[in-house]
Amino acid sequence: MNPDLIDRLVADEASGRYSRRQILQRAAALSLTAPALAALFAGAVPLRALAQNADNPLGVDPNAPLDVVIFKGGFGDDYAKYVNEKMYNKLYPDAKITYAGIQRLGEQLQPRFVAGTPPDVIDNSGAGNLDNAALVAEGQLADLADLLAAPSYDTEGKTVGETLVPGSQESGIFNGTQYLLNWALTAFGVWYSSSWMTSKGYEYPKTWDEMMALCEEIKGSGVAPWVTTGVHPQYARQFLFDQMVWKHDPDAIRNIENLEPDAWKASAVTDVLEAIYQLAEKGYLLQGWEGLDHIQSQNEWLQGKAVFIPVGTWLENEMKDSIPADFDMVLAPTPSLPGDKLPFEAIFAGGGEPFIVPSHGKNVPGGKEWLRLLFSKEAGKVFAESTKSLSTVSGSGEGLDLGSAFASAQADIAAAGANTYITRYQDWYTEFADEVKAQLASLLQMQISIEEFQNTVQQAADDLKADDSIPKYTR
Amino acid sequence: MHHHKYRLIVPFLLPAILLYGLFVVWPYAQAIYVSLTSWRGVSSNRPFVGLDNYQRLWQDTRFHEALGRNGQLLVVLPLVTVAIALTFAALFTQGSQRVRGAGFYRVVYFFPQIIPAVIVGILWSYIYTPNIGLLNGVLRAAGLEGLTRSWLTDPATVLWAIVAVAIWSSVGFYMVIFLASMQSIPASFYEAAILDGATRWTSFKDITFPLIWETLRTSIIYLAIAALDFFILVVVVSGGSTTMGARRAEVAAVYLYNQAFDSSRWGYASAIGVVLLILTLLLSVVIMRVTRRETYEF
Repeated sequence: MNPDLIDRLVADEASGRYSRRQILQRAAALSLTAPALAALFAGAVPLRALAQNADNPLGVDPNAPLDVVIFKGGFGDDYAKYVNEKMYNKLYPDAKITYAGIQRLGEQLQPRFVAGTPPDVIDNSGAGNLDNAALVAEGQLADLADLLAAPSYDTEGKTVGETLVPGSQESGIFNGTQYLLNWALTAFGVWYSSSWMTSKGYEYPKTWDEMMALCEEIKGSGVAPWVTTGVHPQYARQFLFDQMVWKHDPDAIRNIENLEPDAWKASAVTDVLEAIYQLAEKGYLLQGWEGLDHIQSQNEWLQGKAVFIPVGTWLENEMKDSIPADFDMVLAPTPSLPGDKLPFEAIFAGGGEPFIVPSHGKNVPGGKEWLRLLFSKEAGKVFAESTKSLSTVSGSGEGLDLGSAFASAQADIAAAGANTYITRYQDWYTEFADEVKAQLASLLQMQISIEEFQNTVQQAADDLKADDSIPKYTR
Repeated sequence: MHHHKYRLIVPFLLPAILLYGLFVVWPYAQAIYVSLTSWRGVSSNRPFVGLDNYQRLWQDTRFHEALGRNGQLLVVLPLVTVAIALTFAALFTQGSQRVRGAGFYRVVYFFPQIIPAVIVGILWSYIYTPNIGLLNGVLRAAGLEGLTRSWLTDPATVLWAIVAVAIWSSVGFYMVIFLASMQSIPASFYEAAILDGATRWTSFKDITFPLIWETLRTSIIYLAIAALDFFILVVVVSGGSTTMGARRAEVAAVYLYNQAFDSSRWGYASAIGVVLLILTLLLSVVIMRVTRRETYEF
């Protein structure tokens, strides 16, 4: 008799996922002997102890093959290979891991989902990834509650869930169930070169009025104060506009996300639009910004043609080959508006790089176990060192000296404390978010007025709300 | 006798028909079925919704705008491409009336055609880049600073900037087709015309044009179909299906892609595909009818 099979059956029974009759059916299918069955139900105490063994809390079959697919983008995939070879295969040397580090996951994995043969664990990130909301709506993702409740791999006495940065997993919850686990801890805000600012005797302005005054001065010296990508205006939309609305009035952004009536016409929204419209009106944006993609805009910024740029914490790794020496890039929260309900330190931060375990994979416990190993201090350190980015495992970046960007992001997140947030409507309603970004780009090119922006976007929100073919989410 | 004929024809045709059926007709049939569902594309669950998707399309202003752009392309793309290709072809043939160095031009103008569309697209996306792009650079050098702009995000220029790329890359191909057709016209026709005092233009109008009409007509149908598709260049030149450029130059096929791959609405996207299929078929029939005229044997 195979003790692992019994382990699994006991785990199933203990979790209450299956009725006793189903367990018996499964046991019969696995041709367990009568004594084994007797042990299962009568004298199950020692077996139960075995199943809840801290080394295998999720009941993994050590021999079952595992299929891992990782988005190999800005973060590379060294950390994932580390988990495969140095962690999973160390615990389960007989498990054969099929691994792929790829881009545009949607095109490659979609047929596998339709055919019912998805991989066991996926880093579903990057451009052209699978639509998480659609996967959830189709019941294709496994509930990760048991993983969060399992003991952490290398933090004694804590569950996996307890080791994660508070708030970092909120975007993985769809209507109350955790389907996604975010691996990277990302902060979004305004970047600048601290060495350049210091050399000019400037300090990062904490209020929008000071920002405008500084912009006027910078513009006078022949440098553009701001640049952002006009090809992908979602950068300005989320990292600048959404963030400023949230800091001005957290209820205003929540109303927007919950598709409340007239949410886009709230005075908090108008205030923010009037503030950022000045960037366009007063010519504070780098000429030609509207035609730059994200890489081009970041290059212009690195070349010193503009001072401020709204991006996320992947910026340094993404541009690592073109950063001038002593550039010392740092991240700051958006400047405050008069009457902001949240302090200046409040910043858009939270989990990104979501991982999923397909519900119809062949080795669901194995997929979850792989994630349990990933969400450890050990893997977090490997990730931080190879990408200069933080993972969502608390304390995984402690004691690492990885430069100004890493340090400033860590400091910003610490200073913000509980005041962190990330808008999610772009994940729920892709098409609507595209409309918002398109209208915002038109506004920043002064092709439409603030009022036209608000009317058009409100109309789109109302249409979306009335469209019952699109599942709705609230927060 | 007839039996023998079919015994020969059928084995020759069968493989082609089977392949065509498997890889063309069957996917079309599937797409028609998918268009009647609200399939999200990530599971085998395809809820049947009848004609709902078509009803939505009927009221979808974004789709109407996209089709409107296809409509503009339908007029501009064939007209301009054929006009330029025809001019070049005529200048490089017409017996002794052809321009000097014709052989050289024939080769050079065909160059863009041998570059894959994706590379053409990427190349031009750099040419159009506002700050370091060739086009704005040339305009600045020529003192025309006022004309510089972000060609691929400016709503007034983006579609036409991409159309220009399409014309640039296809003129060579149609020129070669017209050349082939023109070269089959006996040189003696032109010699006779010159003796009668014909200019280059009258030779073209009265000899070349009527004699290549069939080729011209086929070319117009090809270009019209290209105008109804026009997917690759919009997506590649503007840098992706969700960029501002792609949105402002959105044609029906780009909207289709966007709905399927970016918004996971495969049922709706398939309905767009079916509408495009019907429009393409209708258009082909209409052009065939409208352009039917007497063909000359020579």
